[in-house]
Amino acid sequence: MFDTQSSSTARRRPLGRLALSLTVSAAVAAAPLAFAPAAFAAEDGDGGNYLRIATSADIDTLNPFTAVLGSSTGILTLAYERLVEWGAADNAPVPGAASEWKTSDDGLTWDFTFPEGRKWSDGEPLTANDAEWTLNAIQTDPDLQQASGGLVANMKSIEATSDTNLRIVLKEPQPQNPGNSMMVLPEHIWKDIKDPAEYRNAEDSVGSGPFTIAKWDEGQSVELKANPNFWRGAPKIDGIRFVYYKNADAQVQALKSGEVDIVSGLLPAQYESLKGVEGITVNAGAGRRYTSVAINPGAKDATGAPLGDGNPALQDPTLRRAIFMAIDNKTLLEKVLQGLGTLGQTEVPPVYPNYFGIDEDKVIPFDIDGANALLDEAGYVMGPDGIRLDKQGAPLNLRLMGRSSNPQHAQISEYMVSWLKEIGIGLNVAMYSDNQVNDDSTLGKYDLYFTGWGIGPDPDFQLSINRCSSYPNADGSGNLSENNWCDPKFDALFDKQHGELDPAKRADYVKQAFATIYDASVNNVIWYADSLEAYRSDRFTGFVTQPADGGVISGQNGYWGYYSTTPVADTSQLADAGAPTGLYIGIGAAVVVLGGLAVFLIARRRAATSDDRA
Amino acid sequence: MTEAVTTEAVTASAARGARSVASARRKQRAGEVWREFARHRSGVVGLVLLLAVIALALLAPVIAPEQLLDVTKVTAGPNEPPSWANPLGTDPAGRSVLVMLLWGSRVSLLVGFAATAVSMIIGTIVGMSAGHFGGVAQAVLLRIMDFFLVLPSLVLAIVLSTVLSRGVVTIIIAIGVTSWAGTARLVRSQTLTIEARPYIERAWALGAGNGHVLRKHVLPAVLPLVLANTTLTVGSAVISESTLAFLGLGDPTTVSWGTMLKTALDTGAATAGYWWYVLPPGIAIVLVVLCFTLVGRALEAVVNPTLRGR
Amino acid sequence: MTVALQPGEAIQGAPEEETSRGASWPRYLALKGGGAAVSLVMVVVVGFFAFRVLPGDPAISMTRGRQVSADQVEILRKQFGLDQPLIVQFWNYLVGLLHGDLGTSYTYNRPVVDLIGTYIGPTLLLTGTAALVSIVLGLSLGQRAAWRRGTAFDRTQTSVALIFWSVPTFWLGLLLLLVFGGWLHWFPTGGMSTPGLGATGLAYVWDVVRHLVLPVTAMVAVVYAQYLLVMRASLLEEMSADYLTTARAKGLREDDVRRKHAVPNALLPTITLIFLTIGGLIGGAVTVETVFSWPGLGYLTFQALTSPDLPLLQGTFVVFSSIVIITNLAADLVYRVIDPRLKAS
Repeated sequence: MFDTQSSSTARRRPLGRLALSLTVSAAVAAAPLAFAPAAFAAEDGDGGNYLRIATSADIDTLNPFTAVLGSSTGILTLAYERLVEWGAADNAPVPGAASEWKTSDDGLTWDFTFPEGRKWSDGEPLTANDAEWTLNAIQTDPDLQQASGGLVANMKSIEATSDTNLRIVLKEPQPQNPGNSMMVLPEHIWKDIKDPAEYRNAEDSVGSGPFTIAKWDEGQSVELKANPNFWRGAPKIDGIRFVYYKNADAQVQALKSGEVDIVSGLLPAQYESLKGVEGITVNAGAGRRYTSVAINPGAKDATGAPLGDGNPALQDPTLRRAIFMAIDNKTLLEKVLQGLGTLGQTEVPPVYPNYFGIDEDKVIPFDIDGANALLDEAGYVMGPDGIRLDKQGAPLNLRLMGRSSNPQHAQISEYMVSWLKEIGIGLNVAMYSDNQVNDDSTLGKYDLYFTGWGIGPDPDFQLSINRCSSYPNADGSGNLSENNWCDPKFDALFDKQHGELDPAKRADYVKQAFATIYDASVNNVIWYADSLEAYRSDRFTGFVTQPADGGVISGQNGYWGYYSTTPVADTSQLADAGAPTGLYIGIGAAVVVLGGLAVFLIARRRAATSDDRA
Repeated sequence: MTEAVTTEAVTASAARGARSVASARRKQRAGEVWREFARHRSGVVGLVLLLAVIALALLAPVIAPEQLLDVTKVTAGPNEPPSWANPLGTDPAGRSVLVMLLWGSRVSLLVGFAATAVSMIIGTIVGMSAGHFGGVAQAVLLRIMDFFLVLPSLVLAIVLSTVLSRGVVTIIIAIGVTSWAGTARLVRSQTLTIEARPYIERAWALGAGNGHVLRKHVLPAVLPLVLANTTLTVGSAVISESTLAFLGLGDPTTVSWGTMLKTALDTGAATAGYWWYVLPPGIAIVLVVLCFTLVGRALEAVVNPTLRGR
Repeated sequence: MTVALQPGEAIQGAPEEETSRGASWPRYLALKGGGAAVSLVMVVVVGFFAFRVLPGDPAISMTRGRQVSADQVEILRKQFGLDQPLIVQFWNYLVGLLHGDLGTSYTYNRPVVDLIGTYIGPTLLLTGTAALVSIVLGLSLGQRAAWRRGTAFDRTQTSVALIFWSVPTFWLGLLLLLVFGGWLHWFPTGGMSTPGLGATGLAYVWDVVRHLVLPVTAMVAVVYAQYLLVMRASLLEEMSADYLTTARAKGLREDDVRRKHAVPNALLPTITLIFLTIGGLIGGAVTVETVFSWPGLGYLTFQALTSPDLPLLQGTFVVFSSIVIITNLAADLVYRVIDPRLKAS
């Protein structure tokens, strides 16, 4: 194919030495490398049992005051006890640094008990004074508020009345335990740090969780080691290593080859392919995040002036309802997510059964004909090109915005374009960077857009960002409105649940409040995706999931999953998920050598038969 | 698309097109060029394959109606392995990978040709000016050329695609604007050579202006070389498109070979072993780029006689 | 990117050489150094203004979804000088740059210079190794191919090189990762060293080398073709020169003719080309580092792309470009020292 257009010019020389060696050099040089201990599997420098976790998200800092990224806070959860933990079984509050807590009748004064015997990893006692110092530091220094500033905003005073008692007085009552998610840092270490906001906490830190931070190798890995002083008892493994992989495929390959022990955030196809692989167990835990399409119902700013450039026709709830009727969430769940999730209803996922769900008869059905009928009735006449006209006579061509970082948005939008066409609505899809979607959605610069939130165990925050008072300032600063929507009826329900201390009654108000958002057709929750994980069950077992039934191992509201794991008896004898390495090396080497030889021989023969150059 | 293809077809056959009718002399010259080109077997093979691919891309709507890409109308299951109905299996939405490959070729080739056109126009103008004019203008142009020549073009393309809004046009601009410097350099040295020839001096003496010399004498002389050179650029542009798509800077709402690969990776097709979705778009890219390279090399050997016989 | 496949052009040399080749050393230095300086300034200017046209308010991006009051945003704007006119901001940026300040990353919330300092080492290791291997491979194969023009060896080598040259780097990397990492388990699937191995000295080097193999292979495969083809072309050019005939006539052994005369002369245009393609190598680093989770600047660039983290992206752009410009300057100087035509004159 690549004729080089010339009579032969080859020389009769001891040919090919260099050529041969170079042709194969890369591969041959590689061979001895490949012979190095075949399994990186389970080979720990110190011979310990380390749980190796593949992680794709980067870490900003391991400073508990300033760490914001989920991957960082996830690691910190393992290293520092919170005042009160979220339980493994059902996300209910359970003892953390504090063993018990009481509330005054007006719900304003909270007392937390720090029992004797709680210790830091360096052996120093963990007392109420540590908590007082930590909370006060956050409250008084704006630079330390990045991570937990919101949690202390409602606290009027924080005081350790003794070594064993911490008293927090609130400004107004709140349903969520103020100790939940509130980390406690060791005063005796942190008080000597000169600039606590800049401290990176990257090495040999003193903590109170089941593990402590041993070493952070930036961009590569984070190592945690077991904390022998952990009050629930030392973990049964020697430590944890978080290993970075930028590439989802590389993570799965690393799991298969035994370079890591647990992988989370799997794609449906990867999950299916890992099912039944020897030595690997998969887990589809119910996720805490909803994925939805939101419609701009006419965004306003804090002064009540219109904000952004949403299509004014969408201020009509009937039109919004018709659009949602034309989206088949069930098909999307089956096709895009391969069924690995739960069909969406309100914004609360089913992992929080107290707040999940809506009355059967209120569910908006998938019904193209019904949507068309609704639109006909509402007076949206069909234009000449199959696109309906709004009340002003302009064609209903809407914009749909998604994130280019999330491939599912592009996939879902392909279905939506087709469905909405059937009800006479045109859709222009565009994908943007995360920053731009954040900015544009805050500023109301959209018609429809893909969104989604991870929901914490307490729904108060999620509801609060739907109040009328949550409209942002005209430049997007100030408050944050989830749906750029507001309804006094909703605000009344919010206030009711916020002041209600009886859990059952509160749950009812919460459900009603979420149902109000649903009825307004501003946010169509498509699904709650399962959290897909896989781990080397030939090395580790006994992972506790949260919640206990159908829950997740990684990304918990707590440390239960990794803390609970136990090594399988003999980890030195590993079942390799692939074929015998030696065999492949043999075949590979043979192919390389033969290939090189062939090239060499062809070259020689040519050289020998060709004429010398004149 | 059509326009670009036409230009390219003319380029590819190096004169079989419309211009050859102009005069018998040109016809004869064209014949010589073709005979010379035909001596390069690999170039001919590349050309034939390339024309086939372009024809398929143009005929895509006829061969496979666009409706086959509508995800709500599919009948096959997701990620089905190759079968008689779907020779290259199906994608995660159940669409035929073969149909997508066909439609994807349109966007990939469009990006390749359009970006090359952008790069060719900038490169020719800058290169000719830098060769023709002296003094400050030349110094400035040379500096700019040098700057773009050494700059990591992918990094600059990344910056541009981040800054501009998502879309095929953005990708075309990002690739075109970052890849013209090589052409400009080539055009400049060619311009210098040509302007040193006696007949240009004669033209000057006869009172020709800058515009006249550049248009009537320099441009026709550098054009063949530019065309040969840009044939190679189309290949790189096709690769760049897929690379930008891989980095998440493509337009996920259009089907191209790059976005197909990106979707394959995003849906875990590679680790799940759905090779029929991971390999074909990549192989298609390799094949087309290789063809452009072969044609380009052969063309270059034709236009640049010092290279003959290599 | 295509530069390399145009042997004719490479042989002609860089345009400026016509004017500067005969210049005296000080003049040559001033010319080349001045040129590089201008390029650096252009990078700095492009780096600033390209990112200022982006939509979105940097101050709001910096708050990363936290709820902040209008006052706080105002404070942030002041703090980062965003309330100043553009020209003042540019001045501040220049002054900062002179003090080695490239701004603060949104994602990592720390100085961009710090981050780049942390990640630049692995990138230099990876691209350096890849460059070295592809140069050695490309030059030796190219030399062989030229000397044995028209043989099966020549044709195979040229074909293989051209095929590899046509492959998208990230795709090749991914296939390598799947086959040699995931399936055969010969090499690690990512990273620069095995975490927790605790190896030191030689054992550590060995570990890093194992991690280097796949990413380097992916980069080399795509790049070496350019060197092969140019070396081949320029050697063919040299081989037709008169002085070789003379040398042979003097009875020199064929091998000596090649090694002592043809090859050194043919090397020069190739070296020019090698430095011109460094930008391409660095571009390849972005995708290869992403595929193989190599903790370098390319990976950092990819990370910065996703948000996008503008100060970080701007920083990597400036650093990448500066590396290329400075290497090219160095090449120009080295080139002059080793150019035998200059020595002779």
